[in-house]
Amino acid sequence: MSDSITLHISRYRPEQDDAPWVQSYEIPYHRDTSVLEALNYIKDHLDPSLSHRWSCRMAICGSCGVMINDEPSLSCKSFLRDYIAAGELHVRAMENFPIERDLVSDLGGFIDHLKTVQPYLMREQDKPTSEGEYLQTPHEMGRYKAFSQCINCGLCYAACPQFGRNPEFLGPAALTLAQRYNLDSRDEGQSQRMAHLNEEEGVWSCTFVGHCSAVCPKDVDPAAAINQGKVASTVNYGLNLLNLIRGKHDG
Amino acid sequence: MTAKPYIQRQPAGWWLKSSAYRRYMLREATALPIFLYCLLLISGLYQLTQGEAAFLDWLQVLRSPWVIALHVVAFAAALFHAWTWIELVPKILVVHTSRFTLSPQLIKRVHQGGALACFVGLIGLAVLLLTRATTGAG
Amino acid sequence: MSRSNEPIVWSLFGAGGMILAFLAPAMIVITGFLLPFYFADRPQDVYRGMSQFLANPFAQLFLLAFIALSLYHAAHRLYHGMHDLHVHGPRIAMLLLFYGGATVLTGICAILLLRLG
Repeated sequence: MSDSITLHISRYRPEQDDAPWVQSYEIPYHRDTSVLEALNYIKDHLDPSLSHRWSCRMAICGSCGVMINDEPSLSCKSFLRDYIAAGELHVRAMENFPIERDLVSDLGGFIDHLKTVQPYLMREQDKPTSEGEYLQTPHEMGRYKAFSQCINCGLCYAACPQFGRNPEFLGPAALTLAQRYNLDSRDEGQSQRMAHLNEEEGVWSCTFVGHCSAVCPKDVDPAAAINQGKVASTVNYGLNLLNLIRGKHDG
Repeated sequence: MTAKPYIQRQPAGWWLKSSAYRRYMLREATALPIFLYCLLLISGLYQLTQGEAAFLDWLQVLRSPWVIALHVVAFAAALFHAWTWIELVPKILVVHTSRFTLSPQLIKRVHQGGALACFVGLIGLAVLLLTRATTGAG
Repeated sequence: MSRSNEPIVWSLFGAGGMILAFLAPAMIVITGFLLPFYFADRPQDVYRGMSQFLANPFAQLFLLAFIALSLYHAAHRLYHGMHDLHVHGPRIAMLLLFYGGATVLTGICAILLLRLG
Protein backbone atom coordinates (compact mmCIF):
# COMPACT_ATOMS: atom_id res chain seq x y z
CA MET A 1 0.00 0.00 0.00
CA SER A 2 1.30 3.36 -1.04
CA ASP A 3 1.79 6.02 1.61
CA SER A 4 1.88 8.97 -0.75
CA ILE A 5 -0.15 10.30 -3.66
CA THR A 6 0.45 13.08 -6.19
CA LEU A 7 -2.02 15.86 -6.91
CA HIS A 8 -1.61 17.73 -10.21
CA ILE A 9 -3.31 21.02 -9.57
CA SER A 10 -4.17 23.65 -12.12
CA ARG A 11 -2.80 27.04 -11.02
CA TYR A 12 -3.74 30.47 -12.33
CA ARG A 13 -2.58 33.79 -10.89
CA PRO A 14 -4.20 36.63 -12.83
CA GLU A 15 -1.44 39.09 -11.86
CA GLN A 16 1.28 36.81 -13.31
CA ASP A 17 -0.23 34.21 -15.65
CA ASP A 18 -1.92 34.41 -19.04
CA ALA A 19 -3.20 30.86 -18.84
CA PRO A 20 -3.52 28.07 -16.27
CA TRP A 21 -0.56 25.73 -15.70
CA VAL A 22 -0.13 22.58 -13.67
CA GLN A 23 1.75 22.28 -10.38
CA SER A 24 2.29 18.86 -8.81
CA TYR A 25 2.32 18.11 -5.11
CA GLU A 26 3.17 14.81 -3.46
CA ILE A 27 1.37 14.40 -0.15
CA PRO A 28 0.90 11.68 2.49
CA TYR A 29 -1.88 9.26 1.61
CA HIS A 30 -4.47 7.92 4.02
CA ARG A 31 -7.62 6.11 2.95
CA ASP A 32 -9.89 8.50 4.87
CA THR A 33 -8.46 11.70 3.40
CA SER A 34 -10.81 13.72 1.24
CA VAL A 35 -9.52 15.75 -1.70
CA LEU A 36 -10.50 18.87 0.26
CA GLU A 37 -8.34 17.75 3.17
CA ALA A 38 -5.53 17.13 0.69
CA LEU A 39 -5.91 20.69 -0.67
CA ASN A 40 -5.89 22.06 2.88
CA TYR A 41 -2.79 20.00 3.66
CA ILE A 42 -1.06 21.51 0.62
CA LYS A 43 -2.06 25.02 1.65
CA ASP A 44 -1.07 24.49 5.29
CA HIS A 45 2.22 22.66 4.77
CA LEU A 46 3.47 22.93 1.20
CA ASP A 47 2.18 25.97 -0.65
CA PRO A 48 0.20 28.73 1.10
CA SER A 49 -0.42 30.43 -2.26
CA LEU A 50 -2.91 27.79 -3.40
CA SER A 51 -6.44 29.22 -3.50
CA HIS A 52 -9.53 27.07 -3.18
CA ARG A 53 -13.08 27.47 -1.85
CA TRP A 54 -14.52 25.37 0.93
CA SER A 55 -16.65 25.67 4.05
CA CYS A 56 -18.81 22.95 5.55
CA ARG A 57 -16.72 19.86 4.64
CA MET A 58 -19.95 17.88 4.40
CA ALA A 59 -21.47 18.46 0.93
CA ILE A 60 -24.15 20.92 2.01
CA CYS A 61 -22.70 24.41 1.49
CA GLY A 62 -21.83 23.93 -2.17
CA SER A 63 -18.52 25.85 -1.96
CA CYS A 64 -15.89 23.29 -2.98
CA GLY A 65 -16.83 22.39 -6.56
CA VAL A 66 -13.83 21.48 -8.76
CA MET A 67 -12.93 19.13 -11.60
CA ILE A 68 -11.24 15.95 -10.41
CA ASN A 69 -9.91 13.89 -13.33
CA ASP A 70 -12.21 15.93 -15.60
CA GLU A 71 -15.35 15.13 -13.59
CA PRO A 72 -17.27 17.86 -11.74
CA SER A 73 -16.93 16.92 -8.07
CA LEU A 74 -17.15 18.35 -4.57
CA SER A 75 -13.65 18.10 -3.13
CA CYS A 76 -15.10 17.39 0.33
CA LYS A 77 -17.07 14.46 -1.06
CA SER A 78 -14.22 12.94 -3.07
CA PHE A 79 -11.65 10.69 -1.47
CA LEU A 80 -8.00 9.98 -2.26
CA ARG A 81 -8.64 6.25 -1.94
CA ASP A 82 -10.57 6.36 -5.23
CA TYR A 83 -7.47 7.59 -7.02
CA ILE A 84 -4.70 5.73 -5.21
CA ALA A 85 -4.66 2.93 -7.78
CA ALA A 86 -3.36 5.43 -10.33
CA GLY A 87 -1.20 7.07 -7.66
CA GLU A 88 -2.23 10.53 -8.86
CA LEU A 89 -5.17 12.77 -9.62
CA HIS A 90 -5.77 15.98 -11.56
CA VAL A 91 -7.61 18.87 -9.97
CA ARG A 92 -8.65 22.04 -11.77
CA ALA A 93 -11.29 24.74 -11.50
CA MET A 94 -14.82 23.88 -12.61
CA GLU A 95 -15.35 23.69 -16.36
CA ASN A 96 -17.39 26.35 -18.17
CA PHE A 97 -16.89 29.11 -15.58
CA PRO A 98 -14.28 31.87 -15.80
CA ILE A 99 -11.35 31.11 -13.51
CA GLU A 100 -10.59 33.82 -10.96
CA ARG A 101 -7.55 32.18 -9.40
CA ASP A 102 -6.30 28.59 -9.11
CA LEU A 103 -9.38 26.53 -8.19
CA VAL A 104 -11.68 29.51 -7.61
CA SER A 105 -14.35 30.13 -10.25
CA ASP A 106 -16.35 33.25 -11.04
CA LEU A 107 -19.92 32.25 -10.28
CA GLY A 108 -21.46 35.68 -10.84
CA GLY A 109 -23.24 34.63 -14.04
CA PHE A 110 -24.62 31.57 -12.30
CA ILE A 111 -26.02 33.67 -9.44
CA ASP A 112 -27.60 36.04 -11.96
CA HIS A 113 -29.36 33.13 -13.64
CA LEU A 114 -30.74 31.98 -10.29
CA LYS A 115 -32.15 35.45 -9.67
CA THR A 116 -33.67 35.61 -13.14
CA VAL A 117 -36.21 32.84 -12.50
CA GLN A 118 -37.72 34.67 -9.50
CA PRO A 119 -37.01 31.89 -7.01
CA TYR A 120 -39.51 32.84 -4.31
CA LEU A 121 -43.18 32.28 -3.68
CA MET A 122 -45.31 34.68 -5.67
CA ARG A 123 -48.99 35.20 -4.88
CA GLU A 124 -51.71 37.15 -6.68
CA GLN A 125 -52.53 38.59 -3.27
CA ASP A 126 -50.05 38.22 -0.45
CA LYS A 127 -51.65 36.63 2.56
CA PRO A 128 -51.10 38.68 5.74
CA THR A 129 -49.35 36.79 8.52
CA SER A 130 -52.36 37.36 10.76
CA GLU A 131 -54.24 34.89 8.54
CA GLY A 132 -51.78 32.15 9.39
CA GLU A 133 -49.43 29.90 7.43
CA TYR A 134 -49.84 28.54 3.94
CA LEU A 135 -50.84 24.91 4.37
CA GLN A 136 -49.24 22.17 2.31
CA THR A 137 -49.64 18.42 2.57
CA PRO A 138 -46.60 16.12 2.56
CA HIS A 139 -47.88 14.85 -0.78
CA GLU A 140 -47.89 18.34 -2.25
CA MET A 141 -44.37 18.90 -0.98
CA GLY A 142 -43.31 15.59 -2.48
CA ARG A 143 -43.98 16.99 -5.96
CA TYR A 144 -41.10 19.42 -5.79
CA LYS A 145 -38.99 18.18 -2.89
CA ALA A 146 -36.11 16.71 -4.90
CA PHE A 147 -35.84 19.95 -6.88
CA SER A 148 -35.57 21.94 -3.64
CA GLN A 149 -32.43 20.15 -2.49
CA CYS A 150 -30.04 22.18 -4.63
CA ILE A 151 -27.00 23.50 -2.78
CA ASN A 152 -25.96 25.85 -5.61
CA CYS A 153 -22.59 24.15 -6.02
CA GLY A 154 -22.48 24.72 -9.77
CA LEU A 155 -21.32 21.19 -10.65
CA CYS A 156 -24.28 20.83 -13.03
CA TYR A 157 -23.07 23.89 -14.95
CA ALA A 158 -19.59 22.42 -15.12
CA ALA A 159 -21.14 19.27 -16.53
CA CYS A 160 -23.42 20.97 -19.04
CA PRO A 161 -21.94 21.31 -22.55
CA GLN A 162 -24.78 23.63 -23.63
CA PHE A 163 -23.86 26.07 -20.86
CA GLY A 164 -20.23 25.60 -21.82
CA ARG A 165 -21.13 26.64 -25.35
CA ASN A 166 -23.38 29.53 -24.31
CA PRO A 167 -23.15 31.08 -20.83
CA GLU A 168 -26.42 32.91 -21.52
CA PHE A 169 -28.22 29.58 -21.12
CA LEU A 170 -30.04 29.75 -17.78
CA GLY A 171 -28.67 26.31 -16.99
CA PRO A 172 -29.63 23.32 -14.83
CA ALA A 173 -29.81 24.81 -11.33
CA ALA A 174 -31.75 27.93 -12.33
CA LEU A 175 -34.25 26.01 -14.46
CA THR A 176 -34.68 23.42 -11.71
CA LEU A 177 -35.32 26.20 -9.22
CA ALA A 178 -37.98 27.58 -11.56
CA GLN A 179 -39.63 24.18 -11.79
CA ARG A 180 -39.36 23.84 -7.98
CA TYR A 181 -41.47 26.96 -7.52
CA ASN A 182 -43.82 26.19 -10.40
CA LEU A 183 -44.62 22.86 -8.74
CA ASP A 184 -45.06 24.40 -5.29
CA SER A 185 -48.77 24.42 -4.38
CA ARG A 186 -48.32 27.66 -2.46
CA ASP A 187 -46.97 29.50 -5.53
CA GLU A 188 -49.05 31.43 -8.06
CA GLY A 189 -46.20 32.86 -10.12
CA GLN A 190 -45.84 30.27 -12.87
CA SER A 191 -47.01 32.59 -15.64
CA GLN A 192 -44.30 35.09 -14.72
CA ARG A 193 -41.58 32.47 -14.73
CA MET A 194 -42.71 30.99 -18.04
CA ALA A 195 -41.48 34.07 -19.90
CA HIS A 196 -37.90 33.13 -19.00
CA LEU A 197 -38.39 29.40 -19.55
CA ASN A 198 -39.91 29.99 -22.98
CA GLU A 199 -36.84 31.72 -24.36
CA GLU A 200 -34.15 30.01 -26.40
CA GLU A 201 -31.85 30.49 -23.40
CA GLY A 202 -34.52 29.04 -21.15
CA VAL A 203 -35.36 25.37 -21.33
CA TRP A 204 -34.82 25.22 -25.09
CA SER A 205 -31.02 25.23 -25.02
CA CYS A 206 -31.10 21.88 -23.23
CA THR A 207 -30.56 18.76 -25.32
CA PHE A 208 -30.96 16.30 -22.44
CA VAL A 209 -27.34 15.28 -22.24
CA GLY A 210 -28.22 14.40 -18.66
CA HIS A 211 -24.72 14.78 -17.24
CA CYS A 212 -25.97 17.47 -14.87
CA SER A 213 -28.07 14.90 -13.04
CA ALA A 214 -25.21 12.41 -13.05
CA VAL A 215 -22.85 14.77 -11.20
CA CYS A 216 -25.35 16.37 -8.81
CA PRO A 217 -24.22 15.59 -5.24
CA LYS A 218 -27.75 15.94 -3.84
CA ASP A 219 -29.68 13.84 -6.42
CA VAL A 220 -31.73 16.85 -7.48
CA ASP A 221 -32.10 15.50 -11.05
CA PRO A 222 -32.02 18.86 -12.85
CA ALA A 223 -32.32 17.12 -16.23
CA ALA A 224 -35.77 15.90 -15.24
CA ALA A 225 -36.80 19.34 -14.03
CA ILE A 226 -35.68 21.08 -17.23
CA ASN A 227 -37.41 18.60 -19.50
CA GLN A 228 -40.60 18.82 -17.44
CA GLY A 229 -40.16 22.53 -18.03
CA LYS A 230 -40.10 21.84 -21.77
CA VAL A 231 -43.51 20.19 -21.48
CA ALA A 232 -44.81 23.18 -19.52
CA SER A 233 -43.30 25.55 -22.08
CA THR A 234 -44.88 23.61 -24.95
CA VAL A 235 -48.31 23.71 -23.30
CA ASN A 236 -47.79 27.42 -22.70
CA TYR A 237 -46.85 27.90 -26.36
CA GLY A 238 -50.01 26.11 -27.50
CA LEU A 239 -52.26 28.10 -25.17
CA ASN A 240 -50.60 31.30 -26.34
CA LEU A 241 -51.22 30.30 -29.96
CA LEU A 242 -54.88 29.74 -29.15
CA ASN A 243 -55.02 33.15 -27.51
CA LEU A 244 -53.41 34.78 -30.54
CA ILE A 245 -55.93 33.12 -32.81
CA ARG A 246 -58.70 34.41 -30.58
CA GLY A 247 -57.16 37.88 -30.80
CA LYS A 248 -55.64 38.15 -27.34
CA HIS A 249 -52.17 39.37 -26.27
CA ASP A 250 -48.98 37.28 -25.96
CA GLY A 251 -49.03 36.05 -22.37
CA MET B 1 -14.03 39.54 -8.98
CA THR B 2 -10.58 39.62 -10.54
CA ALA B 3 -9.64 42.03 -13.29
CA LYS B 4 -8.35 39.22 -15.48
CA PRO B 5 -10.43 36.05 -15.18
CA TYR B 6 -9.35 33.21 -17.42
CA ILE B 7 -12.18 32.50 -19.84
CA GLN B 8 -12.46 28.80 -20.65
CA ARG B 9 -13.70 28.23 -24.19
CA GLN B 10 -15.38 25.02 -25.19
CA PRO B 11 -13.27 23.16 -27.79
CA ALA B 12 -15.03 21.50 -30.73
CA GLY B 13 -13.90 18.12 -29.43
CA TRP B 14 -15.41 18.65 -25.97
CA TRP B 15 -17.48 15.49 -26.26
CA LEU B 16 -14.48 13.24 -26.73
CA LYS B 17 -13.38 13.91 -23.16
CA SER B 18 -15.71 11.65 -21.20
CA SER B 19 -17.66 8.45 -21.76
CA ALA B 20 -20.87 10.23 -20.72
CA TYR B 21 -20.45 12.81 -23.46
CA ARG B 22 -19.47 10.20 -26.06
CA ARG B 23 -22.54 8.16 -25.18
CA TYR B 24 -24.69 11.28 -25.64
CA MET B 25 -23.21 11.97 -29.08
CA LEU B 26 -23.71 8.33 -30.07
CA ARG B 27 -27.35 8.63 -29.03
CA GLU B 28 -27.77 11.74 -31.16
CA ALA B 29 -25.89 10.09 -34.03
CA THR B 30 -28.52 7.35 -34.26
CA ALA B 31 -30.47 9.95 -36.22
CA LEU B 32 -28.21 9.43 -39.23
CA PRO B 33 -28.88 5.74 -39.93
CA ILE B 34 -32.55 6.36 -39.14
CA PHE B 35 -32.61 9.15 -41.71
CA LEU B 36 -30.96 6.93 -44.32
CA TYR B 37 -33.46 4.19 -43.55
CA CYS B 38 -36.32 6.63 -44.16
CA LEU B 39 -34.81 7.43 -47.54
CA LEU B 40 -34.75 3.70 -48.26
CA LEU B 41 -38.43 3.39 -47.33
CA ILE B 42 -39.35 6.30 -49.60
CA SER B 43 -37.38 4.73 -52.44
CA GLY B 44 -39.31 1.51 -51.90
CA LEU B 45 -42.59 3.41 -51.98
CA TYR B 46 -41.55 5.00 -55.24
CA GLN B 47 -40.66 1.66 -56.82
CA LEU B 48 -44.00 0.31 -55.62
CA THR B 49 -45.80 3.06 -57.56
CA GLN B 50 -43.80 2.11 -60.66
CA GLY B 51 -45.23 -1.40 -60.85
CA GLU B 52 -44.22 -4.98 -60.21
CA ALA B 53 -40.97 -5.11 -62.17
CA ALA B 54 -39.64 -1.96 -60.47
CA PHE B 55 -40.63 -3.26 -57.04
CA LEU B 56 -38.97 -6.62 -57.66
CA ASP B 57 -35.81 -4.75 -58.57
CA TRP B 58 -36.07 -2.93 -55.26
CA LEU B 59 -36.41 -6.24 -53.41
CA GLN B 60 -33.21 -7.28 -55.16
CA VAL B 61 -31.53 -4.09 -53.92
CA LEU B 62 -32.59 -5.04 -50.38
CA ARG B 63 -30.37 -8.12 -50.78
CA SER B 64 -27.25 -6.15 -51.70
CA PRO B 65 -24.42 -6.00 -49.13
CA TRP B 66 -24.60 -2.23 -48.61
CA VAL B 67 -28.31 -2.30 -47.89
CA ILE B 68 -27.92 -5.26 -45.55
CA ALA B 69 -25.21 -3.28 -43.74
CA LEU B 70 -27.53 -0.25 -43.55
CA HIS B 71 -30.21 -2.43 -41.98
CA VAL B 72 -27.78 -3.84 -39.42
CA VAL B 73 -26.55 -0.39 -38.46
CA ALA B 74 -30.08 1.06 -38.47
CA PHE B 75 -31.32 -1.81 -36.31
CA ALA B 76 -28.56 -1.22 -33.76
CA ALA B 77 -29.30 2.52 -33.88
CA ALA B 78 -33.04 1.92 -33.42
CA LEU B 79 -32.41 -0.35 -30.43
CA PHE B 80 -30.00 2.12 -28.82
CA HIS B 81 -32.46 4.93 -29.47
CA ALA B 82 -35.38 2.96 -28.02
CA TRP B 83 -33.38 1.95 -24.94
CA THR B 84 -32.11 5.45 -24.15
CA TRP B 85 -35.44 7.06 -25.04
CA ILE B 86 -37.46 4.86 -22.70
CA GLU B 87 -34.90 5.48 -19.93
CA LEU B 88 -35.76 9.19 -20.19
CA VAL B 89 -39.56 8.85 -20.42
CA PRO B 90 -40.05 8.54 -16.61
CA LYS B 91 -38.21 11.84 -16.13
CA ILE B 92 -40.85 13.69 -18.13
CA LEU B 93 -43.90 11.50 -17.52
CA VAL B 94 -44.38 12.19 -13.83
CA VAL B 95 -47.65 10.93 -12.35
CA HIS B 96 -47.96 12.29 -8.81
CA THR B 97 -51.61 12.91 -7.99
CA SER B 98 -53.28 13.19 -4.62
CA ARG B 99 -54.61 9.65 -5.02
CA PHE B 100 -51.60 7.78 -6.34
CA THR B 101 -48.03 8.03 -7.57
CA LEU B 102 -46.61 5.94 -10.38
CA SER B 103 -43.03 4.88 -9.77
CA PRO B 104 -40.51 5.79 -12.49
CA GLN B 105 -39.48 2.14 -12.61
CA LEU B 106 -43.06 1.08 -13.39
CA ILE B 107 -43.38 3.66 -16.15
CA LYS B 108 -40.12 2.47 -17.66
CA ARG B 109 -41.09 -1.20 -17.55
CA VAL B 110 -44.52 -0.49 -19.08
CA HIS B 111 -42.86 1.31 -21.99
CA GLN B 112 -40.25 -1.42 -22.43
CA GLY B 113 -43.02 -4.03 -22.40
CA GLY B 114 -45.03 -2.02 -24.88
CA ALA B 115 -42.05 -1.64 -27.20
CA LEU B 116 -41.36 -5.37 -27.06
CA ALA B 117 -45.03 -6.13 -27.72
CA CYS B 118 -45.06 -3.78 -30.71
CA PHE B 119 -41.88 -5.39 -32.05
CA VAL B 120 -43.35 -8.87 -31.93
CA GLY B 121 -46.81 -7.68 -32.97
CA LEU B 122 -45.75 -5.68 -36.02
CA ILE B 123 -43.48 -8.43 -37.33
CA GLY B 124 -46.21 -10.99 -36.69
CA LEU B 125 -48.72 -8.82 -38.53
CA ALA B 126 -46.35 -8.42 -41.49
CA VAL B 127 -45.76 -12.18 -41.70
CA LEU B 128 -49.53 -12.74 -41.52
CA LEU B 129 -50.37 -10.20 -44.24
CA LEU B 130 -47.66 -11.40 -46.60
CA THR B 131 -48.46 -15.07 -46.03
CA ARG B 132 -52.14 -14.39 -46.82
CA ALA B 133 -51.00 -12.66 -50.01
CA THR B 134 -49.06 -15.73 -51.10
CA THR B 135 -52.09 -18.00 -50.66
CA GLY B 136 -54.13 -15.59 -52.75
CA ALA B 137 -56.53 -14.81 -49.92
CA GLY B 138 -57.48 -11.23 -48.96
CA MET C 1 -38.28 38.85 -24.36
CA SER C 2 -38.59 36.57 -27.35
CA ARG C 3 -40.48 33.32 -27.06
CA SER C 4 -38.71 30.46 -28.82
CA ASN C 5 -40.53 28.46 -31.49
CA GLU C 6 -38.77 25.26 -30.45
CA PRO C 7 -42.00 23.77 -29.00
CA ILE C 8 -43.24 23.05 -32.53
CA VAL C 9 -40.23 21.04 -33.62
CA TRP C 10 -39.77 19.54 -30.17
CA SER C 11 -43.30 18.13 -30.29
CA LEU C 12 -42.59 16.56 -33.68
CA PHE C 13 -39.27 15.30 -32.33
CA GLY C 14 -41.00 13.77 -29.31
CA ALA C 15 -43.73 12.10 -31.34
CA GLY C 16 -41.13 10.76 -33.77
CA GLY C 17 -38.99 9.48 -30.94
CA MET C 18 -41.90 7.53 -29.46
CA ILE C 19 -42.88 6.06 -32.83
CA LEU C 20 -39.30 5.10 -33.60
CA ALA C 21 -38.80 3.49 -30.21
CA PHE C 22 -41.89 1.36 -30.62
CA LEU C 23 -41.93 0.62 -34.35
CA ALA C 24 -38.51 1.15 -35.95
CA PRO C 25 -36.89 -2.13 -34.87
CA ALA C 26 -39.81 -4.11 -36.35
CA MET C 27 -39.90 -2.04 -39.55
CA ILE C 28 -36.18 -2.66 -40.04
CA VAL C 29 -36.64 -6.39 -39.56
CA ILE C 30 -39.49 -6.31 -42.08
CA THR C 31 -37.57 -4.56 -44.84
CA GLY C 32 -34.21 -6.01 -43.91
CA PHE C 33 -35.16 -9.63 -43.42
CA LEU C 34 -38.81 -10.48 -44.13
CA LEU C 35 -39.24 -8.89 -47.54
CA PRO C 36 -35.88 -9.79 -49.12
CA PHE C 37 -35.07 -13.09 -47.38
CA TYR C 38 -37.93 -14.69 -45.49
CA PHE C 39 -40.22 -14.37 -48.52
CA ALA C 40 -37.35 -14.59 -51.01
CA ASP C 41 -38.99 -17.32 -53.05
CA ARG C 42 -42.23 -15.37 -53.53
CA PRO C 43 -41.35 -11.82 -54.61
CA GLN C 44 -44.48 -11.42 -56.74
CA ASP C 45 -46.60 -12.25 -53.75
CA VAL C 46 -44.67 -9.72 -51.71
CA TYR C 47 -45.49 -7.14 -54.37
CA ARG C 48 -49.13 -8.11 -54.32
CA GLY C 49 -49.26 -8.08 -50.55
CA MET C 50 -47.60 -4.68 -50.25
CA SER C 51 -49.83 -3.19 -52.97
CA GLN C 52 -52.96 -4.49 -51.28
CA PHE C 53 -51.81 -3.33 -47.86
CA LEU C 54 -50.89 0.18 -49.01
CA ALA C 55 -54.11 0.58 -51.01
CA ASN C 56 -55.79 0.93 -47.63
CA PRO C 57 -55.96 4.59 -46.44
CA PHE C 58 -55.25 3.61 -42.82
CA ALA C 59 -52.10 1.78 -43.88
CA GLN C 60 -51.09 4.84 -45.91
CA LEU C 61 -51.64 7.06 -42.89
CA PHE C 62 -49.63 4.71 -40.73
CA LEU C 63 -46.66 4.68 -43.11
CA LEU C 64 -46.84 8.44 -43.65
CA ALA C 65 -46.88 9.05 -39.91
CA PHE C 66 -43.98 6.68 -39.37
CA ILE C 67 -41.81 8.18 -42.11
CA ALA C 68 -42.74 11.83 -41.49
CA LEU C 69 -42.29 11.78 -37.72
CA SER C 70 -39.07 9.78 -38.04
CA LEU C 71 -37.77 12.36 -40.51
CA TYR C 72 -38.60 15.30 -38.20
CA HIS C 73 -37.07 13.43 -35.27
CA ALA C 74 -33.88 12.81 -37.24
CA ALA C 75 -33.83 16.38 -38.58
CA HIS C 76 -34.10 17.78 -35.05
CA ARG C 77 -31.27 15.60 -33.75
CA LEU C 78 -29.04 16.34 -36.74
CA TYR C 79 -29.73 20.10 -36.59
CA HIS C 80 -28.83 20.27 -32.89
CA GLY C 81 -26.00 17.81 -33.46
CA MET C 82 -24.38 20.26 -35.85
CA HIS C 83 -24.52 22.82 -33.05
CA ASP C 84 -22.91 20.31 -30.67
CA LEU C 85 -20.12 19.63 -33.18
CA HIS C 86 -19.50 23.37 -33.52
CA VAL C 87 -20.46 23.15 -37.20
CA HIS C 88 -21.72 26.60 -38.09
CA GLY C 89 -23.97 27.89 -40.79
CA PRO C 90 -26.46 30.71 -41.31
CA ARG C 91 -29.45 29.90 -39.14
CA ILE C 92 -32.07 30.09 -41.89
CA ALA C 93 -30.00 27.89 -44.21
CA MET C 94 -29.53 25.24 -41.50
CA LEU C 95 -33.24 25.33 -40.60
CA LEU C 96 -34.22 24.95 -44.26
CA LEU C 97 -31.73 22.16 -44.83
CA PHE C 98 -32.86 19.99 -41.92
CA TYR C 99 -36.51 20.81 -41.18
CA GLY C 100 -37.20 21.99 -44.71
CA GLY C 101 -35.64 18.82 -46.05
CA ALA C 102 -37.80 16.72 -43.75
CA THR C 103 -40.86 18.60 -44.96
CA VAL C 104 -39.99 18.10 -48.64
CA LEU C 105 -39.39 14.38 -48.11
CA THR C 106 -42.67 14.11 -46.20
CA GLY C 107 -44.43 15.76 -49.13
CA ILE C 108 -42.86 13.32 -51.58
CA CYS C 109 -43.91 10.43 -49.37
CA ALA C 110 -47.48 11.71 -49.20
CA ILE C 111 -47.67 12.07 -52.98
CA LEU C 112 -46.33 8.54 -53.50
CA LEU C 113 -48.82 7.09 -51.02
CA LEU C 114 -51.72 8.90 -52.67
CA ARG C 115 -50.68 7.31 -55.98
CA LEU C 116 -50.97 3.88 -54.42
CA GLY C 117 -54.49 4.52 -53.20
